[in-house]
Amino acid sequence: MTEKLLEIDNLSVDYETARGDLKALRNITFDVNKREIVGIVGESGCGKSTLISAILRLIAPNTRFRNGEVRFKGEDLLTASERKIRDLRGDDISIVFQDPMQTHNPVISIGQQMVDIQHRSKASKAEKLATAAKMLGAVGIPDPEARLRQFPHEFSGGMRQRIAIAMALMSEPDLLIADEPTTALDATLEVQIIERLKDLQNDFGCAILFISHHLGVIAELCDRVVVMYAGAVVESGTVREIFHHPKHPYTRRLIECDPGHIKERARVLPTIPGEVPDLANLPTGCIFRDRCDQAFERCAEVPPLTRLSEGQNAACWLNHMEEPA
Amino acid sequence: MTDAVAHTPKSKSELAIIITGVARDPLGLIGLVIVGAIVFSAVFAAWIVPYDPIAMNIPDRMQGPSGAHWLGTDQLGRDTFSRVIMGGQVALKVALPAIFGAMAIGLTLGMIAGYGPKWLDNFLMLLFDTIRSFPTVMFALAVVALIGPSLQTVVFVVMATSIPTYGRVARTQTLTLRNSEFILAERAMGASITRILGVHMLPNIIGVLAVLAAMDIPTVIALEAGLSFLGLGVKPPTPSWGALLKDGYALIRQTPWLVVGGGLPIVIATLGFTFLGESLRDVVDPKLRKNR
Repeated sequence: MTEKLLEIDNLSVDYETARGDLKALRNITFDVNKREIVGIVGESGCGKSTLISAILRLIAPNTRFRNGEVRFKGEDLLTASERKIRDLRGDDISIVFQDPMQTHNPVISIGQQMVDIQHRSKASKAEKLATAAKMLGAVGIPDPEARLRQFPHEFSGGMRQRIAIAMALMSEPDLLIADEPTTALDATLEVQIIERLKDLQNDFGCAILFISHHLGVIAELCDRVVVMYAGAVVESGTVREIFHHPKHPYTRRLIECDPGHIKERARVLPTIPGEVPDLANLPTGCIFRDRCDQAFERCAEVPPLTRLSEGQNAACWLNHMEEPA
Repeated sequence: MTDAVAHTPKSKSELAIIITGVARDPLGLIGLVIVGAIVFSAVFAAWIVPYDPIAMNIPDRMQGPSGAHWLGTDQLGRDTFSRVIMGGQVALKVALPAIFGAMAIGLTLGMIAGYGPKWLDNFLMLLFDTIRSFPTVMFALAVVALIGPSLQTVVFVVMATSIPTYGRVARTQTLTLRNSEFILAERAMGASITRILGVHMLPNIIGVLAVLAAMDIPTVIALEAGLSFLGLGVKPPTPSWGALLKDGYALIRQTPWLVVGGGLPIVIATLGFTFLGESLRDVVDPKLRKNR
């Protein structure tokens, strides 16, 4: 039942910069099982996008993989050949990007683009067009045959994002990576897209790695959540555990800051005081120590991500109070 | 000059859309008519000309316009109107191959420079800058001195000096596009380099280059006329607008009509191609197209 599809094992990624190595990801470990929706949540700059580019190996030239593995169906993607990776992209692994206004070629019609991404299939052009129309229908674009002839600028943002999802699902991938697919859309569309994604996941049976900084969406959609902070996983587990019994102070503060959780009207919305530490110049000890109101002596050491219960891991010394230091 | 339009990578219906789009714009329509007339007269020149453009008729030399000679005759009694028409053919024979050659080579090199490794980009840019640093006329003089004046020489000079312009534009476009999200999306979908460059980048770049080419054609026609004026272009007695202008310049006190015959076509052709080019620029971009 819980067959592992994607395993990220102790992954560390640096960016070489003029100021020294920027430690963008440190010892990231989590899995995505088949047919599962895993959410990754964290504030801007916590390494979510670096993680995606590492999985697809669409990396900037100054990226350095320091250690760890990214295994897809048991095969390490970091050492696989360029050819092998390219065959995986858009076939077994697909991605939906954040900004639907930018992800389509502006001078080619939608139909042409949808035919083009089926370049691996040997079907005739008419068959490919039929598949494209079927997919557009599946994501709820009315009158798909006529719409195929239109250009990207003739669609609204929500429609374009649905088209992007249709294109990503066309190859029936095993893993769909959704990189903040609703961030650029308004709230009503967000609900629509999330509902659609849920239905499609049911129909196609793919796993989804859903990246967002919107906790409400994650709670609605995902089976499990990975909470990231400054390039490290601070907590991971099932949605229920994480949202009801967060075991890391950062997760707790993050949930408190979600506007959906605020009961009373306030002039100033709650925030987490302090700033994300400089990743090129890491402080010693726990990465969240400077902003944590519960920090104590032991936080001078880096806390390991430890399993606390079935389906919940956290990296915080507060969960080890009873055991001797 | 429908070739420039046909060169955009659209299907037949797209071509029809572009032509109707241009025709709907008043200046575009004027441009289209002028360019159409020039192309028509160049293609059917042999049937249009009333006299043999190189046949001399000394008794009728240096006449003004009349029913027999619409634009008069030159110092050797050759019919100016016939020479203007044939001169148009020569102008297009230089402009079209030179522009399309320069565009094809410039586009290829520019895309390679923009998408390829940094050292290759630097090398190609150095090459382009070196070529551009020669003044065109000096370069032409040197080439003519080397291989002698002829139509091919003019084509070669124009092509060599225009490649950097097209190359630079193609490179800039490629550089902008390579970091755009839809190209990243293509890569994430497993597209190969040839697919990215050929299927996705080319249509984004070619529109700009086609417009540039349409606007460049008058420059080339003027350049050919200029080189012929200096005696570096096509060899006499082949008629050319520049050569006509040169003869007219020498004989301006005897008959002013040769200057008109040589100069007016250059002015009209320049205006026509420029109008067409500007109108094309608005039409080839699907985003600027009003209704389909």
